[in-house]
Amino acid sequence: MISYDKTSLANGLTVIVNRDKASRMAAVNILYKVGARNENPECTGLAHLFEHLMFRGTHQVPDFDTPVQMACGENNAFTNNDYTDFYITLPRDNIETALWLESDRMTGLDLSEEACLIEKRVVIEEFRQRYINQPYGDLNMILRSMVYKKHPYRWATIGMSPDHIERAPIEDIRDFYRRFYHPSNAILSVSGDFQPDKIFTLAEKWFGGIEDIAYPIDPIPQEPIQTEARRVEVERDVPATTIVIAFHMGNRLSHDFFLGDMTSDLLAGGDSARLYEHLIKNRRMFASVNAYISGDVDCGMFVFTGQLLPSTTESEAEAAFWDEMEELKNGIISDYELEKVKNKFEANTLFGELNVMNKAMNLGYYQMIGDLDLINREVEIYRSLMREEVADFSQRTFRKENSSTLIYRAKQ
Amino acid sequence: MTQPQLVIPSQIEVPTVKKHIAENKTAIYAINCPEYEVVRISFVFHAGTVTQLHPFTASATANMLAEGTELYTSQQIAEKLDYYGSYFDINIDRDYAYITFCCLSKFFAATAEIIEQIILHPTFPESEVVTYRNKRKQQLSIERRKVETLARENFAQAMFGKEHPYGISYSEEQYDSLSSEILREHYRRCYTAERCIVVCSGSISDEVLDCTQRITNQLLSQSGSENIIMPPYDTTHSLRIPHSGAVQSSIRMGRMLFPRTHEDFIPMQVLSTVLGGYFGSRLMQNLRERNGFTYGVFSAMVNFQQAGYLAIATQVGSEVTEQALSEIAREIEQLRTAPIPNEELELVKNIMAGEMMRILDGPFGIADVTTENILCGFDNSHIQYNLERIRQTTTEEILSLAQRYLAPADLVTVVVGDFE
Repeated sequence: MISYDKTSLANGLTVIVNRDKASRMAAVNILYKVGARNENPECTGLAHLFEHLMFRGTHQVPDFDTPVQMACGENNAFTNNDYTDFYITLPRDNIETALWLESDRMTGLDLSEEACLIEKRVVIEEFRQRYINQPYGDLNMILRSMVYKKHPYRWATIGMSPDHIERAPIEDIRDFYRRFYHPSNAILSVSGDFQPDKIFTLAEKWFGGIEDIAYPIDPIPQEPIQTEARRVEVERDVPATTIVIAFHMGNRLSHDFFLGDMTSDLLAGGDSARLYEHLIKNRRMFASVNAYISGDVDCGMFVFTGQLLPSTTESEAEAAFWDEMEELKNGIISDYELEKVKNKFEANTLFGELNVMNKAMNLGYYQMIGDLDLINREVEIYRSLMREEVADFSQRTFRKENSSTLIYRAKQ
Repeated sequence: MTQPQLVIPSQIEVPTVKKHIAENKTAIYAINCPEYEVVRISFVFHAGTVTQLHPFTASATANMLAEGTELYTSQQIAEKLDYYGSYFDINIDRDYAYITFCCLSKFFAATAEIIEQIILHPTFPESEVVTYRNKRKQQLSIERRKVETLARENFAQAMFGKEHPYGISYSEEQYDSLSSEILREHYRRCYTAERCIVVCSGSISDEVLDCTQRITNQLLSQSGSENIIMPPYDTTHSLRIPHSGAVQSSIRMGRMLFPRTHEDFIPMQVLSTVLGGYFGSRLMQNLRERNGFTYGVFSAMVNFQQAGYLAIATQVGSEVTEQALSEIAREIEQLRTAPIPNEELELVKNIMAGEMMRILDGPFGIADVTTENILCGFDNSHIQYNLERIRQTTTEEILSLAQRYLAPADLVTVVVGDFE
């Protein structure tokens, strides 16, 4: 259970507070409702590039990190397809330093040509380090481009190619800041040993004076229903062939999201889960296997992936995945197994609530998806799911015409 | 608006650690934080890779403790742990193997039964060994396509020597020689009372403690623990490993120093933080922020039981490899010639104090720090000492340490990349 209090400032900023009496630290999280899905297909990677630029200083505070560090704090950020998240943890007594810095960079960012140029180079190196100079680095990029034809989830957060980042015009970058970085597009969440009212007062003090100019946000092109099986085969210089089969599934707030999540737990949640037991231990076909949901806000993916052992053929591996799906469609799931994944979900939820940073971050996330109270209802929802629902979900989801199969073949 | 006032913590409160001695003399340390409804128990054995007699046996033994025991198959163990939402982590370094279990308090008794099996009665079934070695062999061959893996392995070899227990690495094929018998032998020799300490944290009730003691008491006792005698170092100062097609080069640079118990350890940690231990460090400012050569560059003190070194690590664009190397050398030289400004030193001290506070906020972090202290022969009063020693470090001290320890002739440099 994460207790919280919530308010909104007049300029539209949402403020959420969790009181943690045991901690001497404070976590300050600020989430902007902008991610790679808000990008123009001709200029991808901008949301992530922008996350970097947020650290390049403002006219008033030329260096963001130093004051955080002087306050014994630590900060970082991440971007995904749906949102951009910034967080600071620091000793409780220094919380105002975090609020000061976040309010300052919501308006006064220094977007000089030079700052953009250097940051672009850093991001291009990141691109190379994580996606090019890495075995299997482009696998997820290929997969996205197969599963999504219209929706901006078809590109990865880092962008479609280093060229996009290199070419991004300075006007577009400045425009991005105006459109997405303002109070009513942001959520401030705090966890620590504070009276909620104290945080509301401080939020008003530091953010209340920021003017909100909201821009209409372009609707996101939704993905049409897939009607036939897709297949791509590539060859790369990697040691083992990997097979991926992905399916479309429901959005974050749909009932299918929970069913999908639980189905992926049945298949791959821990070492006793089905894929590991059946395909690695018993049948010895794969070196590693996984099943996961992408967990996006809009309709996401359900993904099976496995790295083949040299003795396994591609068609055997593919068939093995479909065998697993068949069992689920037929509802061959014991009460014990269901209870297990439910217990595990509950335990993981509790382990995730042990520190202030996770709590502040989660509060921001659930507010962003539009159902803050869900943060405390999910365990109950999982507890209520039934075998027949999992079977039904599997029948509706694991269909050939809803599938994208990627053979990522090791060059001989 | 103006910058708020800062409060710099001058002490860190840590709950008391209670020490209990089991009948077989194994020490159990308990940090009770009843406000959390979880339990974590770590068994630490002096069973790291330096203790192994055959390649990969130390890691294989640790990683396979739960792959079959006298009462349960690996599948049953995984089932039972998953059923209660409990989990365990295996970590192994050159010196120690750490086996850590976590569970909800309400499922402790059920979990303890499995802990007992994993710690005391592993059988290392042959069929599981086969699965394990195939999997690990493939993983290692993938890892070794990465420039950073090659750099890390070659750096250890360059520092200590190819055959030194702290430097050695093995070919993937050597996984093939692993067998159930070899692992059982390693387990019998290294998973003993004399080589073990136990650290519990979270909600440690009497029941939890009794149960932990009962398990610990059953660890076999051997007459004395062997002392590993290390051969002399055989250091290579410069190594270039070609890796064709790499778009980035991986660089490791460093200097052999001393373990954590040395009197200069903490000030050297301050120095290493100045150089590359935080986002705004000198190396990061230079290589990433000013030059855009890299996504990240870091330096840190790396510790072993009987040795320690300073290491700098980064991956840079292939075409700027030489420039990056000379910029790193320039930053080191700068530390040796000019005293660092007071503001910068203050900043680094606050960063390090903040880092300690963050780690120590919560029962599991306190347990990790406690473990590290015990293994070095300290108790938790070392936390306060650490904080004060950081505070006392002066710019003169940093300058003199840099002059003493970072002479160019003593540095070891390893680069893996495409040099065509």
